[in-house]
Amino acid sequence: METMSKKTRYMNPYLAGVLLGLVVLASNVISGRGLGASGAVKSAIVAGVETIAPGHAESAPFYKKFGDSHKGNPLNNWLVYEMLGVIVGGFVSGAISRRLTWRVEHSPKITSKRRLAFALAGGILFGIGSQFGRGCTSGSALSGMAVLSLGGFISMAAIFGTAFAFAYFFRKNWI
Amino acid sequence: MNKITYTPRVITAAVILILGFIIAAVPKNTTTPFKLTPNQILNELKNGNQYLEPDMIAQMIVEKNPSLQLIDVRPQSEFEKFSLPGAINIPIDNILSPEYTDILHQDVMTNVFYANGTTHANEAWMLVRQLGYLNNYVLRGGLNYWAETIMNPQHPANTSPDDELARYDFRMGASQALGGGALTTSAPADAPSASLPKPKPQGKKKKVAGGCS
Amino acid sequence: MGPLVVNEIISENTNLLLAFFIGIGFGFVLEQAGFSSSRKLAGMFYGYDTVVLKVFFTGAITAMLGLLFFSLFGWVDLNLVYVNETYLTSAILGGVIMGVGFIAGGFCPGTSFCGAAIGKLDAWMFIGGLFIGVFIFAEGFPLWEDLYMANFMGYPRISEFFGLTEGITALFVILAAVAMFWVGEWAEKKFPREEY
Repeated sequence: METMSKKTRYMNPYLAGVLLGLVVLASNVISGRGLGASGAVKSAIVAGVETIAPGHAESAPFYKKFGDSHKGNPLNNWLVYEMLGVIVGGFVSGAISRRLTWRVEHSPKITSKRRLAFALAGGILFGIGSQFGRGCTSGSALSGMAVLSLGGFISMAAIFGTAFAFAYFFRKNWI
Repeated sequence: MNKITYTPRVITAAVILILGFIIAAVPKNTTTPFKLTPNQILNELKNGNQYLEPDMIAQMIVEKNPSLQLIDVRPQSEFEKFSLPGAINIPIDNILSPEYTDILHQDVMTNVFYANGTTHANEAWMLVRQLGYLNNYVLRGGLNYWAETIMNPQHPANTSPDDELARYDFRMGASQALGGGALTTSAPADAPSASLPKPKPQGKKKKVAGGCS
Repeated sequence: MGPLVVNEIISENTNLLLAFFIGIGFGFVLEQAGFSSSRKLAGMFYGYDTVVLKVFFTGAITAMLGLLFFSLFGWVDLNLVYVNETYLTSAILGGVIMGVGFIAGGFCPGTSFCGAAIGKLDAWMFIGGLFIGVFIFAEGFPLWEDLYMANFMGYPRISEFFGLTEGITALFVILAAVAMFWVGEWAEKKFPREEY
């Protein structure tokens, strides 16, 4: 598939930043917490394992830890509802700005297959990393910075620093 | 002369810099009342940190400790019939009235609620604790227990341990002092004098989890 | 006085409902800013598109200032707002792994859901990878449990860590961000790419 041929208009980044900040602010004032994303994936995995292999979920330490700190259905969770909202919000925005098409977005210098393979690999790494980091860029870095959390800053520095450091090795994929 | 074009970048930078300087300069607001959740109140109740023993209160009265403020939470009629020395009357029905806020929400005096038993005093304590006020306590056993221990102390058997005998001596002295008579004996040096229990500072008890967990 | 759910001004279920709406806002803004595009996200690291820098820092600073001013006016009790825990080893290790994941995959979890919502198949692959990655972590947990729990530092704020007031810390962050906005602008001029 080809890359997008027509230009699309994105919102001014500073305006978008202010709006994003207001969303984070609302989240803190209403729910006492910032945003998040990777936690929803974690909830889904735990829910899946509990359904398919409940014995394993009760004995293996990771699932047990989750179950101990979360009562009830793992999917009945702030983050899961938030991510459902993210999907809806993204869709609505895409619809309004006419960006809804099925495609693989990649640099013209590589193939779709290569892009998809790297996307998968990147996802796996991010899945592992977000568990170690107890959050991803949304939860730990963005929301963490908003409350001046030390862990948030450390996370952010590590993520962005590493990405810069490794950018050279992946340059063929992007530029 | 260079003109600055007001791009979004310049506007954003200017706004956040100005706000940043303001927030850096303004002193922090630390006087927000801290509300407790039911679980926190329950824990404090279970630990019984709000109780003060009659012995200690008697000693404070005898020593004329200026930080003691006894608060009688019974109706006014009962207060007028009998009250502890120095006590003021805040009937429990009026306890939330604004005129008493300064008495209850402060960090200088040690307020001790009492009634005939402990029920109403505990109710008063729970109410003000829920509002986050500190330095409010409950007299253990109320006036009933006070009468048994301080006003009419039972003489322990002569074979009792020393501290019981010392406590009895102290109570005799206190009851004479508090029964309206002139102060004859001062509290003995080895009378039980526990230090005032400091309410555990309620730290960051997060009710919501956050991050990506 | 906020936070509303902690002070029991709203119920837990209302909280979950509002989470959904907060998510809508989040997803909408992310997509409008262009974070549904992996090329824009990765552009940050090659200089040709610094949208991540601008949006991210403006967002964090807006929220930071918002919280501090709300606290000043007594509209929120900052003691009750969640500050995420700091486990030093785990945070750095996780950050490094995520950094590689970011530059390889071109997404982060939040933006990948945005991208998936508008039909980007690479975003779908990324999400699939997320599930696999979390599962791998979960299954292998006993192997790295010690690393995961090492160096717990509590829930410190940067201001507490450096002994500064929150306001001054915020000002430092703002100064750094403003400097970076100008660097970003310079980078975009220096590394232009054709429209994508």
